Amino acid sequence: MTNIQSLLKYLPFIFEGSLWSLGLVAAGLGLGFTIGIFMSLGEVYGPSYVRKLIEFYTWFFRGTPLLVQLFLFHWSIFPALGLRTSPLETSILVLGMRSGAYQSQIFRGSIKSIEEGQMLAAKALGMTTWQSAFHIILPQALRKAIPQLSNEYSIILKDSAICFILGVMEIMTRTRYVTIATGIAFIPYLIAGCLYILLTYLGAKIFDTIHARVKMQGLISG
Amino acid sequence: MKVENLRKRFGDEEVLKGISFDVMRGEVKAIMGPSGAGKSTLLKCIDLLVKPDEGRIWLEGVELTDPTVDVNKQRRKIGFVFQEFNLFHHLTAIENVMIGLRKVKKLPKDKARELAEKALLRVHIDESLWNKYPAQLSGGQKQRVAIARALAMEPSIMLYDEPTSALDPQLTGEVLQVIKELADSGMTSIIVTHEVGFALEVADELMIMVGGRIIERGRPAEVVYSPESESTKAFFRKVLRVEGTTR
Repeated sequence: MTNIQSLLKYLPFIFEGSLWSLGLVAAGLGLGFTIGIFMSLGEVYGPSYVRKLIEFYTWFFRGTPLLVQLFLFHWSIFPALGLRTSPLETSILVLGMRSGAYQSQIFRGSIKSIEEGQMLAAKALGMTTWQSAFHIILPQALRKAIPQLSNEYSIILKDSAICFILGVMEIMTRTRYVTIATGIAFIPYLIAGCLYILLTYLGAKIFDTIHARVKMQGLISG
Repeated sequence: MKVENLRKRFGDEEVLKGISFDVMRGEVKAIMGPSGAGKSTLLKCIDLLVKPDEGRIWLEGVELTDPTVDVNKQRRKIGFVFQEFNLFHHLTAIENVMIGLRKVKKLPKDKARELAEKALLRVHIDESLWNKYPAQLSGGQKQRVAIARALAMEPSIMLYDEPTSALDPQLTGEVLQVIKELADSGMTSIIVTHEVGFALEVADELMIMVGGRIIERGRPAEVVYSPESESTKAFFRKVLRVEGTTR
């Protein structure tokens, strides 16, 4: 069989990697969202020692390259804690923790952008700070954060390609495998590039749709 | 309600310099004064949205300033209407009115809805507006929804912080009308306002605040038409340009 023919046979294999890549992105975004929400609330409403801890966490995850974090956690930190994680598990955890650091700053910004009157009105009704934050501030802050979340999606999608270094079976790992197996490099990498562009575009479209549907009526940066 | 010797300072500036007064059930008190006199701060202190430095406040026998008292629970008894409305942007009009009932009073959805509808009708907000978002309402409608939101909690006293100051003149009337109706039906109220005519018509007592102090108080007609203090006379002359205020 010619190399081109075997390349064609491998195409589904590469495309399948999209599912893994998207899986990484979804898990990373999801974990990051959960961590980000709690951290942002802690930063805005919590006592100063909580804020210090969060500052340290954010500084670490935003200050070191993802590549370094992947190796650090997979080969040093998790084993030291007695955890034997698969490449996929490590990738999801690191992507999630890293995204959490970035998302906490996104939410912190959008929470602070909600005018003080909203909190005053909530408290005037008898709500506790926690109730006000959860029922009044967060619903508005999250809606405002959607464009930035869309951006975060694109970033995690690009970051997922780096997880290739641990051997996770996402797009890049598979593409490399195919180049080795067929001896052809140009076409597989071109395809991989196109896949990422496609996934980025689709993701952005989905976020735009969500944004349009939950936008607060009449507010400009809703 | 009893307010005793309320003091508040922001940084170097003492904004409230020992305010004291009583409000009987069913009474309507109006507070007027130049900007920066501390009127807004006073109302926010009463509702404990701002913590006073000194002084005590009692509502229906409970001391609100007592540190062991559950402030959030006591706030349910006080309805607050803000100058900037502060309606929750992400909720419709009726949801705005319902949310306190659902989340603070923990009422079930249908009961909350029932009370919300009653409150909205009481402020003359028609069913057609119930599902609109605040951004879709006029200023007068927004403020009336805000009043309904406070009213639905069945407070013992309503505090209005310059309720019409952010409204166009044409819309002021409809809001004042609602406040008047509530007052006439026996709702204990404290209103900070610039509307002299309203104070004359609705209030039982008018207090003039200047520089963090109450410089004059009495029946509205007396305070407006025959004020005793020079500062009061100056206030009515300059700020309000009320004709023939002194005899």
